[in-house]
Amino acid sequence: MGRIIGRFSMKTTIKNVYVFSVLILIFVIFTSMSTKFIGAPNIVNILRQSVPLFLIGGAVTLVMISGHIDLSVGGILGLCSVVYSLAVKSGMSYFAAALLTVLLGTLVGFINGYLVMKLNIVPLIATLATMTLSIGVGKLLTPRGVGLIKQLPRGMEGFMRTSVLFGLPLAFYIAVIVVAVLVIIQKKTVLGKYAAAIGGNRTAAELSGINVIKNVWLMYVIVGFCSALAGIARTSYLHLGDPGTGQGMEMDAMIVVVLGGTHFFGGEGSVWRTMIGVLVLMSLTAGMQVAGVPPYWQYSIRGAVLIFALLVDIAVKERIVD
Amino acid sequence: MIEKTRKEELKTGSLGEGRISNLTFINIVMIGVLVALFIVASLIVPNFFNINTVSNLIAQQAEIIIIGIGIAYLLISGYFDMSVGGIIAMAAVLCAYFSQENRGIEGLSSGLGMSYGVAAALTVLICSIIGLINAFLVVKMNIASVIATLATMALARGVALIVARGAQRNAGLPPEFKQIGQHTFFATINVAVLIMVILVIVALIIERKTVFGRRIFLIGANSEAARLSGIKVSREVSLLYIASSILAAITGIIMASKFNAGNAAFGTGYEFDALVVTVLGGTSIFGGFGSVTCVVVGAFILGILKTSVNMLGFQPDLQLVVSGVVIIIAILAQRYAINRRSG
Repeated sequence: MGRIIGRFSMKTTIKNVYVFSVLILIFVIFTSMSTKFIGAPNIVNILRQSVPLFLIGGAVTLVMISGHIDLSVGGILGLCSVVYSLAVKSGMSYFAAALLTVLLGTLVGFINGYLVMKLNIVPLIATLATMTLSIGVGKLLTPRGVGLIKQLPRGMEGFMRTSVLFGLPLAFYIAVIVVAVLVIIQKKTVLGKYAAAIGGNRTAAELSGINVIKNVWLMYVIVGFCSALAGIARTSYLHLGDPGTGQGMEMDAMIVVVLGGTHFFGGEGSVWRTMIGVLVLMSLTAGMQVAGVPPYWQYSIRGAVLIFALLVDIAVKERIVD
Repeated sequence: MIEKTRKEELKTGSLGEGRISNLTFINIVMIGVLVALFIVASLIVPNFFNINTVSNLIAQQAEIIIIGIGIAYLLISGYFDMSVGGIIAMAAVLCAYFSQENRGIEGLSSGLGMSYGVAAALTVLICSIIGLINAFLVVKMNIASVIATLATMALARGVALIVARGAQRNAGLPPEFKQIGQHTFFATINVAVLIMVILVIVALIIERKTVFGRRIFLIGANSEAARLSGIKVSREVSLLYIASSILAAITGIIMASKFNAGNAAFGTGYEFDALVVTVLGGTSIFGGFGSVTCVVVGAFILGILKTSVNMLGFQPDLQLVVSGVVIIIAILAQRYAINRRSG
């Protein structure tokens, strides 16, 4: 293990310091442009809009630590957005509708796990297929020619817009609880340890008696569950059921996970650092608006941020020996 | 362990004297599927078997097949390229911007006023820089190819969005701009189809007859063995990434010409479609096994299915579901066939 500072290794300390510094740097830069950036309304807005990415990023971190990939998160989000809207519109209570949606998302996650772990289809292709399928089914469920579920009942947006505490909505606190559970899973349970072992060396993990198939399968199910919750949050925020609303989510998830210092080949990573990654990406997005950068710049900045994060990851990996 | 032996068999290809190789076997099976599908579609889909439908079908596959060549080569050597969709948009917008009439004003309607040939050549050159970045990240920095090329995809589409200001450039384009996509020889067979055919033939010759082409298979089958036997793996893979970006640039120029506009939304999802048709045609996702013919066959299988779904009056959105299901069935069926064959 080499040099150890307190309980943490050198590498972990460097990664912690680095993600936080990037976040602070972003805040300093944009606050110097406009003091509104540090104001409560803006902070609340950033936190609120981060909810879907908190949930998905947290779950995807686990999958990526185990050395796998899930591109279907945006598709599941879109499908769940449509299903939740339809359920609420049909007169179901919010709770029942949410339950149904979460069950569906979990089912898609289960299918992902089945395709990848049981049928041995490469994660990239398998989750790509379920992404296409989810978006396709979501679109088929919307009225022909409209492609959206509109005229949702009033009050539905309250989940993401009505303040419960400190100006933040219920969805935010639910996300915090789910993420806290994910952090505990990753740090304190065998599932988290197994994820790192599988990502580090799958054959070694198998030989030491870890049920690789079952554990990674479970992680895919967790991603499905979290993507469904994200879909409910996004639908409430938009007050609209949109099968395409998750487009680019797989990319955002990957950006925040890598920003958080999870190695892209798996083996190591941290859920809570991914959360800092989410805040970096979302405050960067919000900051660009404050700075008056046209919205069409966002895309290339995302690409640049991801390349930056990848290069930092490589540098830390190669230069710092634990 | 079973997984591993299966992979080894996939990679070694031929199984002994007198028997055709696994690759030839898969190719023949998939061509059989294509022919069967064509006959079934002709029988049950009204108006399918006529010259307009068929020539449309061919013309629609031109773009996906051209980028598929690069994707297939990289897949055979064991790498992914997800940046092609972004490069298509970047090429389309840049090509439009370069050849737009220079009106001396800031805005979407004024460009650089270059002649079309110069504009196209410059576009290809600039887009190959993205291929160079891909090569740097994947080969030099050893970053997982899926993630690295997703990042450059965002970068390339970002450039397209910035140059097109989130919209499209379609004013003041020279008349020759739309020739490639809109000048037809016969029914809807246009210049783009001709370019596609030429590129496929060249790619097949490179794949089957040149040392460079055979090395790609060796790299994909066992990159370490390839390196030890004196193949410059990193140079070879870098060239493939640059080739893939050039092919994507050509596709972007074709699309711009077809729509007579440079739109930043062009090519959205094309990297996935190209991957799907390549794998559908029988190329192994593990590397070392595949062919450009797989791309062509896969593209037409998916094309026939999608056209049939449309012509039978189903919602166009059903196409997404069809391609999602088909890809999984195809992978499982091909694996089953090869495993049975190998005993």
